[in-house]
Amino acid sequence: MTAGPAHNVPATAAPDRRARPARPPRAGTRLLRLHAASRRVPAAIAAIAACAIGLRIALLGHWDTYGALQLPLVFEAGAAAAITVTTASPIGEPERVTGRWLPFLRLVTALALTAAAAGALAAAGTGAQMAGGPLDVLRNLAGMTGFGLLCAAVLGGGLAWAGPLGYLVAGAYGLYTQWHRPALTTPWIWPARPPHDLGAAVCAALVFSVGIAVISVRGAHDPAGE
Amino acid sequence: MTVVRAPAASRPMPAQRGQLRAGARLLRLELCHNAMLWMLPVAAGLFWFTTYRKAMAMPPLWNLRASTMQSGALLAFVCPVAGAAAWMGSREARRHTADLVTITARPRWARQFATWAATTFWATVGYLGCVAALYGVTAQQAHWGGPLWWPAAVGAASLPALSAAAFAAGTLVPSRFTAPVVAIVAFFALALSTQLIDGSQSSWQISPVVTGPWDVGPDPGVGTFYRYLPDLSIAQVMFLSGLTLAVLGALALPNGRGVPWLRRPAAVIATAGLLAAGTAVALARTGKLDAHGMIAIPALHDAANDRPLSYPPVCSHTAIPVCLNPAYTSYLPPTAAALTPVLDEIASLPGAPARISQAAAVYRQGRGTSVSISMAGPLLSGTPPVFHMLLPFQLAGPAMTTGEVAAAVRSTAGPAIVASVVGDGPGATPAQRAVAAALRTSAGLPEAVLRSAPTRQRPSGAIVPLPVPAQAAARRFAALPASVRHAWLVRHLAALRSGRITLAQLP
Repeated sequence: MTAGPAHNVPATAAPDRRARPARPPRAGTRLLRLHAASRRVPAAIAAIAACAIGLRIALLGHWDTYGALQLPLVFEAGAAAAITVTTASPIGEPERVTGRWLPFLRLVTALALTAAAAGALAAAGTGAQMAGGPLDVLRNLAGMTGFGLLCAAVLGGGLAWAGPLGYLVAGAYGLYTQWHRPALTTPWIWPARPPHDLGAAVCAALVFSVGIAVISVRGAHDPAGE
Repeated sequence: MTVVRAPAASRPMPAQRGQLRAGARLLRLELCHNAMLWMLPVAAGLFWFTTYRKAMAMPPLWNLRASTMQSGALLAFVCPVAGAAAWMGSREARRHTADLVTITARPRWARQFATWAATTFWATVGYLGCVAALYGVTAQQAHWGGPLWWPAAVGAASLPALSAAAFAAGTLVPSRFTAPVVAIVAFFALALSTQLIDGSQSSWQISPVVTGPWDVGPDPGVGTFYRYLPDLSIAQVMFLSGLTLAVLGALALPNGRGVPWLRRPAAVIATAGLLAAGTAVALARTGKLDAHGMIAIPALHDAANDRPLSYPPVCSHTAIPVCLNPAYTSYLPPTAAALTPVLDEIASLPGAPARISQAAAVYRQGRGTSVSISMAGPLLSGTPPVFHMLLPFQLAGPAMTTGEVAAAVRSTAGPAIVASVVGDGPGATPAQRAVAAALRTSAGLPEAVLRSAPTRQRPSGAIVPLPVPAQAAARRFAALPASVRHAWLVRHLAALRSGRITLAQLP
């Protein structure tokens, strides 16, 4: 074996970005669809819809103050957990080394699911006495999703639910302390703050932004094959 | 073809011993590769945030901290344990190794049992660590009593049940969404099932987050004058153990096709578990609020627990000693300080109490979820007379700081002590009311002149203005030097109490 022939390869064989063949018009859509399918996005949407329906049904019931305050938080945590589970990749390394669009696909998926969940949960509370209202839903959901995305980057997509569900317990406790002193007033426990509290909204937005940035760039810390 | 003489094989290990060793190895492998290990920091962090901090903010009373720990620890562990167990239960299907492991020597139930046992083991280790931390610190702070193990046992029995139910769900519906769904459902069921509790005779009290009458909440007055009743805890442990057995038995049932001998024992275990759980629910329904503030279940009740605990009271060195149950030692200095001005006014008067003593509270179930709490026995009893009082937090309600307790003692027990000495109350003469108001004023009690005498039904009294002549007499009497006032009272208190002194006769 000699190295000679290799030197004779014409330079034009190297891929030229400018001369790249035009992408078929529906390739982007197909890529998005395949990515969504690989991440079980349809199942996540079904789970989010189930959370919204569950919240609506639960709001029909009679709850005392504790129950009425904690109820939306439980379903928000469920929707956030469903979103974070979609970060798990069944393909692993091969996808990471070949997929140039992967960060954008992750970003689009997470943003779209969060928006859909916020819309669905807010719609579920329309016309009912939901504690906090749509602003609360948006803030709590975004913050818990952020925690879940960060968990996905550390523990993997499969165990990412630990973030929103762990925060659910902390948030429910925060609500509890509003009646049983000492009350938690830190904005980092945003479910215990009023919907218009700026500090709580900033904290939730910060966690969501960091979570979505980390998961978009790095992806979930997942072994292939699950 | 040649035949090679091989050395005789070593004697095979007895089958049972080999199986045990293999089982232990399987368990060790599962312990090393269990998701619950990853969830332990989450559970411990939640325990610290929601339970440990809350318990440490409470007074160092074993009953208070133990009941707070039972419900708090369970809510802190529910999501991590249920999620991890469901995640482990769905592992074979998720990793597409179900067919691969089906052909191994270990039957499916043995593999599943090892996975469940490893998950439960780590959960229990984490829980016991949390209990040890909380109880260890409480042991250093508490002035009297010892650790209550039944609340800790309920928490420990909850983890296998929770883990088994979640593991079964993960096995039956293996999906990456199963773990969060199961964790959410478990939290929802535990945290919000208490909404269904209605009074003390509710089956829902079987929920392991319930430690006593649900609408009273953690009550500092419980378990100090009488033993902590284990009745409800016993029923809860019975329910949780039954649930664990039923789920594990049901998990082994479908596998009986491959292991025929297993089918019958699995069915027996599942049935026994269901029976135990059902019996426990029925027992919880027979529970009722006892006079000491706990849930008593007749079939599980030990009458010996109804006897009051004997304790050496801790007393202050005030003019009249203030004596408390030793569990409340930390409240003695503020209580004594709050009552000192009143006690100085009435000390050595004829009929003045020889001691101010803390009493036990009596609980009565009202309509629905309401519970009334009052003092057991009369305000004044014995010879020499002893004045009995409740500390404000014994009446349940929001947590109080030491300063708030002192202020409440001052405004409730203070006027009541004065009234008991002077004879103020319903039917009192104007002179009695004026002298009582004067003593309250000179002791610096709030709204002393306007407030009427407290009664047992209205321990803090109502704001009822005294008639103008009585107000004037009260101000005149209060303005006297303390020694003159005291000397007059020594001479005339008996006549005043019997109603033979008029307003005009007051100095």
